[in-house]
Amino acid sequence: MASLSLVDATKEFDGDGGGIVAVDHLDLDIQDGEFLVLVGPSGCGKSTTLRMVAGLESPTSGEIAIDEEVIHDQTPQERDIAMVFQSYALYPHMTVRRNMAFGLEESTDQSADEIDERVTEVAETLDIGELLDRKPGALSGGQQQRVALGRAIVRDPKVFLLDEPLSNLDAKLRAEMRTELQRLQEELGVTTVYVTHDQTEAMTMSDRIAILDGGKLQQVGTPMQCYHEPANLFVAGFIGEPSMNFFDVSLDGRTLVSEEFEYTLSEETVTEVEASTDLVLGIRPEDVEIAAESGEENQFRAVVDVVEPHGNENAVHLHFAEGDGRTFTVTIGGMRRLDGGQTVGVRFPENAIHLFDAETGETVRNRVFEEVEQVEQLGTSSAAR
Amino acid sequence: MSRPTRTTEESIARVLPELDYSKIALSLVVMLFFAFFVSPIWTGLVTAFKTTGAVTATTPFVPVLPGTEGFTLAKWTRAIGYLSTGFVNSLAMTIPATIVSVFLGSTAAYGLTLVDWNERLQFGILILFIAGIFIPYQAVLVPLSDFWINLVPLVDILAPVWQLPFLEPDHARLLSLTITHVVYGIPLCMLLFRSYYLTLSDELVEAAKIDGATISRIYRRIILPLSKPMIGVVFIYQFTAIWNEFLFSLTLIGSSSSPAATVTLVLSGMGVDLSGIDFGFRMAGAFVAAMPTLIIYVLFAEQFARGLAEGNT
Repeated sequence: MASLSLVDATKEFDGDGGGIVAVDHLDLDIQDGEFLVLVGPSGCGKSTTLRMVAGLESPTSGEIAIDEEVIHDQTPQERDIAMVFQSYALYPHMTVRRNMAFGLEESTDQSADEIDERVTEVAETLDIGELLDRKPGALSGGQQQRVALGRAIVRDPKVFLLDEPLSNLDAKLRAEMRTELQRLQEELGVTTVYVTHDQTEAMTMSDRIAILDGGKLQQVGTPMQCYHEPANLFVAGFIGEPSMNFFDVSLDGRTLVSEEFEYTLSEETVTEVEASTDLVLGIRPEDVEIAAESGEENQFRAVVDVVEPHGNENAVHLHFAEGDGRTFTVTIGGMRRLDGGQTVGVRFPENAIHLFDAETGETVRNRVFEEVEQVEQLGTSSAAR
Repeated sequence: MSRPTRTTEESIARVLPELDYSKIALSLVVMLFFAFFVSPIWTGLVTAFKTTGAVTATTPFVPVLPGTEGFTLAKWTRAIGYLSTGFVNSLAMTIPATIVSVFLGSTAAYGLTLVDWNERLQFGILILFIAGIFIPYQAVLVPLSDFWINLVPLVDILAPVWQLPFLEPDHARLLSLTITHVVYGIPLCMLLFRSYYLTLSDELVEAAKIDGATISRIYRRIILPLSKPMIGVVFIYQFTAIWNEFLFSLTLIGSSSSPAATVTLVLSGMGVDLSGIDFGFRMAGAFVAAMPTLIIYVLFAEQFARGLAEGNT
C-alpha cells in the first residue's frame, strides 16, 4: 500500500541526430490504493513511463517516489513493485508453483513452507489451484494470464504495474478479465498503474485515467471527467467509442459558420468563447438528435449513409446535405430504424456541444455537465464493500 | 466419375511412384556418395580384425569372418593397451576443457545479450570475441609455447602438485593445453550461445529482475536451465573439436612418448616401426581413439532432443 508520484519525469532515448523524447516532463500523483490507467496511442510514452516506475528504464531527469521515498535511482530489485507483462513472461522451465514462488524466494527470506502456503492461497483466489504443477506451455492464454497476475499478487507489492495485460486475450475473455481485475484490485487495495491503448479498458476499469500523447500528459481525471469535460481536442477524440464528431467552424457574431451549416449560439455561450474565432465544434454521437425536418433553428439536413446495428443501439453514419457533405456519426436507440438514403433533420443541443480552439486544440467550452454526486438508491442497498 | 481400372499395366502404374530420369540419377548420386564415405570406414573396421598376414593376403574391404584363419582380436587388445595412457590424458584434458569453455561461453553470451549495460562497450567486446574465432592456430603456435614455457611455466609454479601420486612434471603441459583449449573455445561457444539468447524474450529477464533476482541469480535460475538444448549442441561440438585436436598437443606436449601425451599424439606414432606399417593395429587404434566422440554423439543427441522438447512444453 503506497502512493506513487512522478515529478517532472523525462525520458530521452538516443536516436539518429539527437535524442527522442519518449516522456516529456510528466507530473503524476497516484493515491494509495488507486487504480490509475495510463492510456494513449502507441508510441505515446505510456509503456516507458511504466518501465521507469518499474526500474527497467532510468529517467533522464525528474523524480519518481513511492511513499515520498525517491526510488528512481534504485534497482528494480530494491523497489517493492510487481509487474505483469504483455507477454506474461512466465518462466517456461518452471511449474506454475515455482513461477509464483520465484519472486518470494528471491526477494524475501521466508521459509519454503511459508512461501508454499502463500502461493497456494493466492492460487486459490485466482482459481488456478489445480494448475500449480503444470508448466506454462501446457496452459491456455487465459490461464497464463492468471498465473502472471498470481506471480505479481503473491509478493504483496507496494505498487502493482500492468503493461497491456489483456491485449493477448480474445474479446470475451478480455471482458471477463476486466471485471476480475477490478474485483481483485478492490479486494487487495493495492496502488495500481495499468497501461493500455484501449480506451474502453481505461473507461471501465480505472479510478482515474491519465491520457498521454507524444510523451506529454494531456489530462488526468475520472473517466466521467475525461469523457464529458475533455481538456483538449486530443482527449475528446481519443476517449469514447464511436469517437466525438468534429467540425471546423469560425465564429461570426453569434453564429458558428462552417461550409455545411450555420449554428447560432446563445448569448451566454458567446461570452465564453469570444476570445477565439477559429474553433472546432465537437459533439458526441449519442447527443445528436435525429428528427423529421422541421426547419427550426440549429437543425440541419443530413442524408443517412449506413446504419450499423449493435442491438442495444444503432450507429448511423450520415453526411450533410449542404456543402462538401462532411460525414459524421450518430448513435440512436436500437429500436429506432433508419434506412440508407433517407433525408433527416439533425439537431445539436447547445448544452451538449464542445468547442475547441482550432489552433491550440485547447477546450474553449465543454458541454454542460454536473457530476452525479450521489449513487442512485434503488431498493435496499446490500452491504457495500 | 473415374472408370474402374481394367488392365494390369494400369494397376501397376498406379502403385509405382512415377519414375523419371532425374530421380534415378539423383538416387545413383546418393548411393555413390554413400559408398564413397562409408567404404574407408568399413575397410578400416574389417582390417582391424585381420592378422598382419591376412591384411596383405585378402582384398582390403572383404571381411575375415570370426573362426576362420586370419581373424584376430589381438590388434584391438594391443591398441587399447598402447593408447590407454593417451586416452586417460585426453579425457582428463577434454572433459574439463569442454565444460569450462561451454560455461564461460554461455556466461559471456549472457553478459553480452541479456544484461543491460553500456551498449557500445558490449559491441566492442563482441567484435573482439568474433576476431578471436578467426585467429589461425598456426599464427599463435610460437607465442603460445613461449607463453607457457617462459611467462607462465606451470611446471615450476605448481611444483608441489607434481609430487602427488600418478602425477609427473610433464602433466603441467597437459594443464597448459587444457587452459589453451578453454581460451580458444570461448569465442565460438559465446557466439553459439549468443544467437540462442537473442531469441529469448527480454521480458523474461525483466520479470526476474522485478521479482528481485540479481544478475547472477537470473543466470543460474532462468537462463542456464533454459540453455539446455544449446548446451547439448555446444558440448558435442567442443568435445569433438578438443578431443581430435592435434596441433596444440604437438606444440605444447611435443612428444608422443611423453607421459602427458594425448591420444591424438600417441596415435600419430603408433604401428610404425622398422618392419613396416601394421595396418590392422593402426586401424584398431583409430577406432579406439574415435570411440569417445561417437559415444558423446549418441548420448548427447538424445539429451539434445529432450532439451528441445522440454523447451517447447
